[in-house]
Amino acid sequence: MSRKVKLIAAVTAVIFILSAIGTAIVLKPSGSRTAEIVQNDKVLYVLDLKKEKDRSITVISPDGGKNVITIENGEIFISEADCPDKTCIKMGKLRSESLPIVCLPHKLIIRIRNS
Amino acid sequence: MKMKKIPAIFISAAILLCGCGKNNAHSKDIFAMDTYMSLKAYGKNAEKALSASEEEIFRLENIFSVTKDSSEIRQINRSGGEPVKVSLQTFEIISLAKEYGEKTGGALDITVYPLLREWGFTTGENKIPDKETIEKLLESVDLCRISTENGAVSVPSGTEIDLGAIAKGYAGDKVTEIMRGCGVDSAIISLGGNVQTIGTKPDGSMWRVGIASPFSAGEEIGAVSVADKAVVTSGNYERYFIGSNGKRYCHIIDPKSGYPVDNGLASVTVIGESGAVCDALSTALFVMGYEKAAEFYRENGGFEIIMIFSDKSVKLTAGIEKNTVFADGIAAEVIN
Repeated sequence: MSRKVKLIAAVTAVIFILSAIGTAIVLKPSGSRTAEIVQNDKVLYVLDLKKEKDRSITVISPDGGKNVITIENGEIFISEADCPDKTCIKMGKLRSESLPIVCLPHKLIIRIRNS
Repeated sequence: MKMKKIPAIFISAAILLCGCGKNNAHSKDIFAMDTYMSLKAYGKNAEKALSASEEEIFRLENIFSVTKDSSEIRQINRSGGEPVKVSLQTFEIISLAKEYGEKTGGALDITVYPLLREWGFTTGENKIPDKETIEKLLESVDLCRISTENGAVSVPSGTEIDLGAIAKGYAGDKVTEIMRGCGVDSAIISLGGNVQTIGTKPDGSMWRVGIASPFSAGEEIGAVSVADKAVVTSGNYERYFIGSNGKRYCHIIDPKSGYPVDNGLASVTVIGESGAVCDALSTALFVMGYEKAAEFYRENGGFEIIMIFSDKSVKLTAGIEKNTVFADGIAAEVIN
């Protein structure tokens, strides 16, 4: 094998390994427990629920609305809100990718982060 | 010779893996039509398709809204019987709502709005109206009171149109049209629980659409796998109130009785080609109840149904059975 071929082999091997790593990251299984908190199209927090310690996060919307988000034993939910209907609290813990927790009046979304 | 083939294999594998890049998901969150919408599209024109879709959703919201002063629906409701020239989309959606209202024997009725308001479902201040008030309001609830002619719509004073039962499905159809027009062949959109899909996932597998549990907030009772389909659910668990008598009243009003539907159904999911039709049918079949809905299905077909009852039993049509999964302990029976 000539040096040129060896070089090509080495370069392509590196590209191959890098893309394989990239692909593995992009295509990670959907069973992930990473949640994101989004408001007005901005991702405010990305939380790995398997690693997060129990804590509360207060999010104030641009018009002054308040939601308190609680992380407890690897679960995430809205524990307090000053919106009129409190639907976001009634939605309970985040369990499914298809059913994000939404506070309509404060345009706040908590959802499982897609792969 | 064999050794020389190795770099070629590496190169093709690398190209293949990098190729995944074109299948990146592009997504958009939209708050419109009194709900949260999530749009996700794949492919090179996805970004353009999402922007055009967002624009269309806000445009439709502005003409269909029952509360915005400038909307066409508001103009019709305030016209006192005078015909109001409307956009093609308003004419189309009202005509479709009338067609499905008639087909379902009045189980879907877009003139039920005054009753919805009386029960407090438009304001959030729920109350149980007295019998006389309900009977009085029922006089103006009738699809036949809507006149659609030459691109104009009119309703007599007292009658009010509200597109809540069909607007999201219609918007979903328009969004999928726009996306396909932009060359998107893989997308999933959720307009407040109305899910519509274009093609399959980029890897060729079907889209998984969760069906919300009517019994436990945020939880799924099952899921359905679809491609190129709309999946729309109407249920009694999203908006309801408990009366002073301890009884639960849901936001879906039976246009014949004027009272919230209470027939043993907790939710009806309709799976079909058109979002607007699935939306219209999910409400209508929920109002009809099991027996009449099953009869309607046998006579018309062209769609699939999943019915969840208050006693946690499930009935579904044979065409969707193999594409559904349910949570442990839920046994589904096929509707014959």
